[in-house]
Amino acid sequence: MNQLLYQTSWWVPLYGLVGAILTLPWSVGLVKRTGPRPAAYINILMTVLALIHTALVLWAVWDAPPDRLLIPWLSLPGFELWITFLTSRISVGAAFVITLLSLMAQVFALGYMEKDWALARFYGLMGFFESAMTGLALSDSLFLSYALLEMLTLSTYLLVGFWYAQPLVVGAARDAFLTKRVGDLLLLMGVVTLSNLAGSLDFTHLALWAEQVELSPLTANLLGIALLAGPTGKCAQFPLNLWLDEAMEGPNPASILRNSVVVACGAYVLIRLQPVLALSPLALEILLILGALTAVGSSLVAIAQIDIKRALCHSTSAYLGLVFLAVGTQQDELALMLLLTHGIAKALLFMSLGSVILTASTQDLTELGGLGSRMPATTLAYAVGAVSMLGLLPLGCFWAMLAWAETVWTTTPWLVGILLVVNGLTAFNLVRVFVLVFGGQPQPKTRRAPEVGWLMAVPMVSLTIIALLLPLLLRQWQILPTWAQFNPTVLLLLLGAGGLGAGLGGWIYLSPGISKPVDLVWPSVREGLAYDFRIEQLYQITVVQGVVQGARLTAWFDRYVVDGLVNFVGVVSIFSGESLKYTVSGQSRNYLLTLFLALFLALTVIGWGYWGSGF
Amino acid sequence: MLSVLIWAPALGALLITCLPQATSGVRARQISLVIASLVLLWSIYLAGQFDLSNPGMQFAEALPWIENLGLSYRLGIDGLSMPLVLVNSLLVWIALFSSDPQISRPRLYYALMLILGSAVAAAFLAENLLLFFIFYEVELIPLYLIIAIWGGARRGYAATKFLIYTAFSGVLILAAFFGLSVLSGTSSFDYDLLQQQTLPLTVQLVLLITLLIGFGIKIPIVPLHTWLPDAHVEAPTPASVLLAGVLLKLGTYGLLRFGLGLFPEAWRVIAPGLAVLAAISVLYGSFAAIAQTDMKKIVAYSSVGHMGYILLAAAAATPLSLLGAIIQMVSHGLISALLFLAVGVVYAKTGTRDINQLRGLLSPERGLPVIGSLMIVGAMASAGIPGMMGFIAEFIVYRSSFEVFPVQTLLSMVGTGLTAVYFLIMINKTFFGRLPETLANLPRVRWQDRLPGVIVTLLIIWLGIQPNWMTRWSEATATAMGQGRMQHYSTVQPLSETVLSKIAPASQGS
Repeated sequence: MNQLLYQTSWWVPLYGLVGAILTLPWSVGLVKRTGPRPAAYINILMTVLALIHTALVLWAVWDAPPDRLLIPWLSLPGFELWITFLTSRISVGAAFVITLLSLMAQVFALGYMEKDWALARFYGLMGFFESAMTGLALSDSLFLSYALLEMLTLSTYLLVGFWYAQPLVVGAARDAFLTKRVGDLLLLMGVVTLSNLAGSLDFTHLALWAEQVELSPLTANLLGIALLAGPTGKCAQFPLNLWLDEAMEGPNPASILRNSVVVACGAYVLIRLQPVLALSPLALEILLILGALTAVGSSLVAIAQIDIKRALCHSTSAYLGLVFLAVGTQQDELALMLLLTHGIAKALLFMSLGSVILTASTQDLTELGGLGSRMPATTLAYAVGAVSMLGLLPLGCFWAMLAWAETVWTTTPWLVGILLVVNGLTAFNLVRVFVLVFGGQPQPKTRRAPEVGWLMAVPMVSLTIIALLLPLLLRQWQILPTWAQFNPTVLLLLLGAGGLGAGLGGWIYLSPGISKPVDLVWPSVREGLAYDFRIEQLYQITVVQGVVQGARLTAWFDRYVVDGLVNFVGVVSIFSGESLKYTVSGQSRNYLLTLFLALFLALTVIGWGYWGSGF
Repeated sequence: MLSVLIWAPALGALLITCLPQATSGVRARQISLVIASLVLLWSIYLAGQFDLSNPGMQFAEALPWIENLGLSYRLGIDGLSMPLVLVNSLLVWIALFSSDPQISRPRLYYALMLILGSAVAAAFLAENLLLFFIFYEVELIPLYLIIAIWGGARRGYAATKFLIYTAFSGVLILAAFFGLSVLSGTSSFDYDLLQQQTLPLTVQLVLLITLLIGFGIKIPIVPLHTWLPDAHVEAPTPASVLLAGVLLKLGTYGLLRFGLGLFPEAWRVIAPGLAVLAAISVLYGSFAAIAQTDMKKIVAYSSVGHMGYILLAAAAATPLSLLGAIIQMVSHGLISALLFLAVGVVYAKTGTRDINQLRGLLSPERGLPVIGSLMIVGAMASAGIPGMMGFIAEFIVYRSSFEVFPVQTLLSMVGTGLTAVYFLIMINKTFFGRLPETLANLPRVRWQDRLPGVIVTLLIIWLGIQPNWMTRWSEATATAMGQGRMQHYSTVQPLSETVLSKIAPASQGS
């Protein structure tokens, strides 16, 4: 039985893919009579099957040693590619979490996207999305992981561009694709280099190879930076972070996955690549710097957003920054734990916000308010999600943060500072959103808001329960240290930062005496934060301008120099009847033309002469 | 056996021209499709009979023709030409299928298309240099006429430019062939005889560079490329499909077969320069594509860029990179065919290809949603998204060329990123957004319009998931061709035995 489960573990990613393919008759309009609903049901069914299968595999591998499944894919002279899957507690567990969240997001979408005409296409894309992510979780080969990351890029593009008739969406989809593509391209360069240097692209092999190999510092550094770039783009880290903000234009059920598990996929690959990154101290330093910058910067930016989805997605970047820091300090297990706890908390928050957005038909914080008593389940979900995100009460992220602070406390204390800042700022932000959405007086758009229907409420409430149970599960798995092992200073600092942030947020936004928007800081600072530190302008003047000017210059050169020269030679103007005009300046041209023609004819005649003799 | 591939369509063309004057376009199209289907089936049959382990020429045919000139009718097929012949047969069928049945002068049109397919197949099969040259030139005439008669507004200019450029290319190639034959003292133009030539390196270099310029026009290598965008823009869609899909491959095929095959030492000398040229072509084509506003020009410049990858892999000339070059030829053939088919439908339905005038074509009821989806697939395949054959072809090219020319390879890889840029601009502008009133009443897209694109798409995805189906035809030949080169550059051991053995215990359970 166990053997069979191991052998079939590679089916797990296929369920979503099959589901996606089965939606095609509905999404291309072959089947119109039934409406798009059956496509959705098929996908949900496939996800349920995937979930059952993953659960069985997880049960089988739980106490077993990690195992690898090798499938030969392409064998060429001097070059082999294998599809390699790793079945370990962590990889199958990750696949399980992904499938579970995907199932919830899909059921949620049944309610959220109820009246959308392109429901079938949406479910097809979600199936594709899920398939790529579970594949990534199980993959043990950098080649496969790279391929799946690219598929995630593609499906992000298509999901963000789902409502492609809206102008903002068009730009958002493009930016999401291209920003990730920059990272992917550098990653591909790393993959190609690594494939040449190490021979095989299996993570297991790479880890062994990295222990033995001696690389020149330049190669190691370039390689490390290239490998770092892919996860940087995928995890929305500075300077490739803006796509996530824009991607919030897409449908909310996809945002649930994007903010919880999709970004985590990049970090997951980074964790697998950690042994290779360790070859380059510079890459590790860059990893720390990027992580720290994004953690603090995005937390600040999040506070200045008035779009509720954007306010939370920046905190996703910030938390992934913390994960980067954990990877940079070689705390892989803590990084995974943070990914898990953050993923569940963030998914819950986004479900709650989805309910708010659907009910109120707005995602502008200034238009919301007073929903607390009208939408109790949604409010509870938000509250539990928010607490799970913070190092405040003993839910989810608290434990991950505490354990992490514990380990770096003695080695690199400045990281604890970053953690505290992120914790405080996030607490402030989450309380701010909470008060503005659920507290205060009802606004025109929220006055008649009912609680959402059961299709959305069931996944939301289930996930609330899971979030509440998560600490118990962690304790069950014995990942958590006991109370006695904790350093009380760290504990107090963490709680203090969270409490301070939450208290400050509550005080500012609850007290009627403080005018909103809060003008405690200079307008220029507020503007800077609201516009993401003007990073977009940074893109504009660097990459975008570079490409645009390069393209213009090349096109000009092509048209006036290369082609101009050809036309100047004049052959064409003589032969094509339409421009058979002799101008004054044509004199020299004709001269050249005669020369050229003579040469051409001579060569032809020689050729024909020699050749024709035989005919 | 092989002659069928050449003479069946040629005789078919003759048959179509002999049809009565009053024959409708529908009938002519049907007849030509039947012939193309037979040729396609025959190619598939031959592929089935093909001996995968034999690197040399198979199904050889030899007839003396004009012996005192060294011209003989010798055909053969190996791992280099097999995939190209298959692509040619397929794309001729696709091109005929996507032709407009209401076209003017149908008999001439369909006859010319068949002749074009026949001549291209013959050029891939020819084992005699003169024979290759004859077919290489014959193929120009039908394409010239197709562009000149059924082309767009500036067809005269484009057709003439095409003719002069490629005729010049032919002259150079002929000169090199003559030079080789005369200087090496053999009176024959047979490929296998000339392969044994032992000319001094300088002479080889002169001949090879002549060949390079000749084939470089056809490929095209920057700066010899300006005929291509014009020809594409003016050519009718089926001709564009064939032009991008197979005709350009005559250039890279010729370079591999006659350049690398006949002058291996000289090849090694010019290879670094060739790799630089390849990187320039990739970047130049990609940047130029970004600035275009005509959809066909975007795809045409993208061809310039993507043919650069083939050149890069050819320059590296290791067994793996040659295999990569062949796969990239197939991959580019299918992907550019798909893109041109989609652009063709857009143009046929909307009457414009200007990306600034088109908008919102993905609209489900009144737009072209399926064509739009096919276009997105084509663009993503071209941009190297995994799961489609463009990715694996480019990955093999990068992986293998990196061993020999790391810098040029990394520069070329930037082209993949730029491909995403220009195709995304095109898709965003034409397919996304709201359908404007000016495009509200488009003619219906029928399944006949979609079928060719769907077939090519399925192939692209299938071969992307199962690249073995594509690589196995060429593995033996590529290995044999690159063998000499490998000794110089074999710095990388394959999957290292030592490390694998350490991992092995863990995998025993599975």
